[in-house]
Formats: sequence, structure tokens, C-alpha cells
Amino acid sequence: MEGKYSTDPEWASVTPIDLDDGSSSGAMPLATIAYPAEYLEATSYLRAVMAANEMSERALSLTKDVISMNPAHYTVWIYRAKILFALDKDLNEELNWLNDVSLKYLKNYQIWHHRQVLLSSKAHFPTFPPKEADFLMEMFAQDSKNYHVWTYRHWLVRHFRLWDQPRELEDVEFLLKADVRNNSAWNHRYMLRFGPRDTSLPDAGMVNAGDLSTAPTEKGRLSIVDEDLIDGELKFAQEAILRAPENRSPWWYARGVLRAAGRGLAEWEGFVSGFVSEGAVKSSHAVEWLADVFAERAGKEAEAVRMLTMLKEEFDPIRKNYWDYRIRKLDQAVA
Amino acid sequence: MLLGYLTLSGLDVLGVLQSKTTPEERQGYIDWLYHCQVPSGGFRGFPGTDFGPGKRNKDNEAWDPANVPATFFALVNLLILGDDLSRVKRRECLEWLPKVQRADGSFGELVGPEGSVGGPRDLRYCCCAAGIRYVLRGRSETGLEGVPDIDVLGFISFIEACQTYDGGMAESPFCESHSGHTYCAIGSLDFLRRTCNDLKPVPLLSAGSNQFEALITWLASRQTAQLEEPDEDEDEEQREVTDTGSIDNRVRGLPNVQPIGADTISCAGFNGRCNKYADTCYSFWNGATLMMLDQYSVVDEVRNRRYLLEKTQHLVGGFGKGPGDPPDLLHSYFGMVSLAFQGEVGLSPVDPTMGSSERTVRHLESLPWWQS
Repeated sequence: MEGKYSTDPEWASVTPIDLDDGSSSGAMPLATIAYPAEYLEATSYLRAVMAANEMSERALSLTKDVISMNPAHYTVWIYRAKILFALDKDLNEELNWLNDVSLKYLKNYQIWHHRQVLLSSKAHFPTFPPKEADFLMEMFAQDSKNYHVWTYRHWLVRHFRLWDQPRELEDVEFLLKADVRNNSAWNHRYMLRFGPRDTSLPDAGMVNAGDLSTAPTEKGRLSIVDEDLIDGELKFAQEAILRAPENRSPWWYARGVLRAAGRGLAEWEGFVSGFVSEGAVKSSHAVEWLADVFAERAGKEAEAVRMLTMLKEEFDPIRKNYWDYRIRKLDQAVA
Repeated sequence: MLLGYLTLSGLDVLGVLQSKTTPEERQGYIDWLYHCQVPSGGFRGFPGTDFGPGKRNKDNEAWDPANVPATFFALVNLLILGDDLSRVKRRECLEWLPKVQRADGSFGELVGPEGSVGGPRDLRYCCCAAGIRYVLRGRSETGLEGVPDIDVLGFISFIEACQTYDGGMAESPFCESHSGHTYCAIGSLDFLRRTCNDLKPVPLLSAGSNQFEALITWLASRQTAQLEEPDEDEDEEQREVTDTGSIDNRVRGLPNVQPIGADTISCAGFNGRCNKYADTCYSFWNGATLMMLDQYSVVDEVRNRRYLLEKTQHLVGGFGKGPGDPPDLLHSYFGMVSLAFQGEVGLSPVDPTMGSSERTVRHLESLPWWQS
């Protein structure tokens, strides 16, 4: 077959390796994909240069061609990264190209891992390239909850030690201002505030939780607490709750903040009680909060059950079975 | 490999794999799966990286690597097809597994150039790795003398570190909690629990622990009547905050939440993250996790069934991602399995951890080399 590569003098020295899907020996491929001829040709040349472990300009441009047809091909990205480093290519140029590919394929994760592999090179990126933050905000303008982008941003923060760079918090606050229900942004804020700065220690979703030697009761708790920071975060969560009282994110953020500080849910009892009075409930999450406060207080179990029953019967009927599960546990505790 | 799994397992759960395929076809599929096995152990995701016989060497093997998810799904596919795994390079595959584990306990997806662990730190690889270990190690050490095990304690520690402040589990520590990754976290631990008799109790699997109860709360909170993006302005507005007056006064000034009549909500699916809309596949990811934790009873089964059958099932058959979406393999399979968890007539019981019929798991556990 005459193709782009078979007719190109630059590729004349290469013998392409055809796809062997096993069918010639009687195997029946599962979920066969009808590849277009251009893709079949390009990948037959890709196999040939990979088999020769060739690190060359022509192999590099071939990987770009294959990626443009199938960005989910998982080895072509690794091969490309290896060539980029072997030929000492300009990685900023690569990033510019990646920006376009990322905006085109929003849900592809290989792209983001490739980006991480490039940025990991201390020789090329000894310090944080500020343009990264601009590009990530461009991605968030497309989808402010894109999981791959947030995961990458988390990695950037840890790699370049950006927890306390003003830009990080500014971006989070910009996104929360646009959508106070953006749970991804809330989560990023938690990581900025409470992520362990000592990167030699195991990283954990709750402070200390990743360390085998930590007692279960201590997990999620900071060893040194900056009380002003905690108060500021609690205030921030309260303001967000006042903007949208049924928004789950800040309620759970506040729980995480209190736990990090080793301060209990009861600290918010006064604030939360204001949301719950006879015949006037301002937030179902406040009812749940009070149920949790009362459930932990001896002699207050009946109050807890009253709150859980209110959720079950009035505000959250979908979770009837869950509220019953909670009520049963309290009954068992009392009995 | 994944598409093959969704198709084969789908037919198996429907109970028609034997009637809709011939013995010759099934043997052909088995041969193809073995064709995807890498000489050094493990499976590739598709034959496209194979250079052909005799061309593989130390310099180029990184470009044709065994892949962790592909290996897990290849094994499950073989089991669904009734194969006894006798052609699997069991020893080599189990020797390869610790090489894709990192010092922090997490797994990558492959061994990259110079023996590095390639791919992100990601609970999906952890779950598939634990699944490979469960399938190939079994309860017997016979034939595995001198084959190093993975770092089980480091692995558990990494998984525990992925629990977030809201109780769910994230792709890796400090990322956002996500139902797919939560499934992978609990699936990993459940795979370990099935074969490690001396495993210390893991709080995430222990009813009554803070970790367990926070996780149940988070999973139950994923069920939602928010099925699609609301029309403009229907959403609860974000109030402009007037920072005046005491907090108490400002709270008093908020509007009341109106009680919701149980008879006004007929359907409720599941979302995968806080404040997202329902999606067919999350009926599986959340439901299967609750099955593994033995707490499926917190689910509103009736509303979930109506959501799937009346909202995301498509006229032509199969399920789409959301109401009105065209059906695809992934959502069709996971929508169907969610119904199987609830005992839907005509569907075979499904093992939530393996994601395949209980029949398939019984087949594995009956293989002589697997048993203790």
C-alpha cells in the first residue's frame, strides 16, 4: 500500500512491522477496532523504530503523528518522553504543543502524566514555571472540576513546594467565587492549608493518615496547630455556607478543619443551632451536624434521633435507609 | 482488553455467553488473550506494541511492556471463558508485580525505561495489582517458592492515606474523593482479605471505626435526585453576601429549606463526587463498594432501579451515561450490574470485587493450584 511513510525517502531505510493481532494463527481478537489505513501504516513504522530503540528526529515526529490519531496509546507517550530527553529538545516547545492537545482531549490522562514527566526534570525546570498556573486556569475555564488537571496541580504544589505561594490560594478563591459548589477547589484549598510540608514524610489525604506508626485516633490531626489559621478557615467556610446553605462542600470542609485542629464538632454548636429551630430549618447539613454532635454526647441520644428522623422524614427522603442505619446504631448504643 | 471484558462479562451476567458464542469462538478468544501475553510475564493491553518473534531485547522491551490493568482484565476474561489459566506465566507474572510497586506502597501501570515504575500514582493500578495477586497467588504457595510478594503493609498504608477529610477516597493522597477510586481502594483491600488470613484488621473494613463510618456516610451521600444540569436560574442561587450584622442575624435572615415529600422524587441515581450530577456507572462504583462493605442496605434500591430503567436505559437497549445519552459498552455493563446487585430477574449474581459473575469466581477458586 502506498502511504505517507512508505513513499517518504526519509523512511526508506526502515522496514515496517505489520500488526500481528494473532488472527493468522487462529486467534480471534476481542473487540477489534477498525483502524484507518493511515493509523495502521504509522503504527507499523512506530513498532519498527521502537524495536530498534531509535532516538531520532524522525521517530519524534512519528510519535506526534500517532498521538494525533490516538492519544490513548499508552507506550507512545513514554517513548516520546525518552526521545525528548535523549535529543535534549526544548521542553517549553513541547509544553506549548501539549497545551493544544490537552484542550482538544479534555478527558485524557496520558497527556497529564506526560506533562508531569517533563516537569519532573530538575535540570530543565529547577523552579516553577509560572506559565503553568495560567494554563491550568485556561483548562479550568473549560471544566473547573477536571479531575486530571486537579491531580496534576496537586502534584505541582508538592513538587515545587507551592503551598504558600499566593497564586495557589488566589486561583482557588477565584474558582470558588465563580462556583461555591466546586468541591475540587475546596479540596485543593484543604491540601494547601493542611498538606504536610515535609515531603520526605508519606503524603496523606488526612494529616498523618499515611504513616503506619500513627495511632488510628491521631490520624487526621495536625501535630502543631496554628489556631489563627484554623479560625480563619472556619470563618471562610461560614461565609460560604451563608452564600449557599445547602452546599455540602463547606460543611465537610469545616469538619476536616476542626479535625485537623483536634477540635470537635461541638465548637460549631452555637453557629449551627441558628439554622435549626422549630418549623424553620435553614440547612439540612446543619441538622446532620447537630445529630452528630448529640450522638457523641451522653444523654443526648434522643435529640440525635430527633434530628435524624427530621432528615429522614422531611429533608432527605432518598437517604431514608441511611438515616435508619444511623438511628439503629444509636438505639444499640443506648440499649 | 477492557472492551473485551465489558462484552464477555456482559454476556456472562446475562447468562447467554454459552448460547451466543460457539466453543470455537470462545477458544479463539482464549488464544487471542494468550497472544497478548508478554514473554517476560503479564499481558499487554492490545497486540499493537508487539514487535514480532525474536525482536524483543533489553533495549526495547520498555516499549512493549506488560500493563497492570490489561493483565488483570486478561485474567478475568480468561476465567469468564472457562480457561484454567494453565498457559499463564504465573511465576513470571508474580515476579513482575513487585517491580511495578513504588516505595510508598502504590502501584504504577508498567515497568518503564531503566526499570522505573511508569504511570501515575493511582488507586486504579492498586486495585488491578491486588486483583492479579488474588487470581494468581491464590491460597496456595505451591510452585511459588522464592517468588517475592508485594509489600502488603506499605500497600495498605498507601490506600489508607487516600481517604480524604470528607470520608471518601481519592486517586492519590490529598486529591479529591471520587467514587471510582473509592471502589478501587476497597476492592484492593477486599482482594487482600480474601487470601491473607493473617491480615491485621484494617479500620476501613471494620464497622464501627471512624474511617469505616465516614466512608459509609460519604457513599450514602452520593445518591442523588440531581440527574442533569438544571436550566439556568433553577439552581439554588449563590447569595450575595452582605457582610453586615452578626452571624446569628444573617443566619436568621436565610430562607427556610422546604421539606421534600417522599412521593415527589421517583428516581435517584448516584454521582461520583460531591456536587456532581448522577451518572449510570456510579450506581455501580458506589453500589459495589457498599456491597463489599456489606452495607448495600443504605441504598434506595427502588429509586436507583427507576433511574436506570426509566432514565438512562436507551430505546435501542443498553444504558447511556445520563438521561437521553446514547448507550455505550461501559455504561451498559455497569448499569446492568447495578441491577444485578439488587436481584434483578434474568441477571446472574455478580461478585462486586472481581466485577464478574459469581460463577467466574467459583471457577477460579476451584482450580487445584489456587486452593490451599
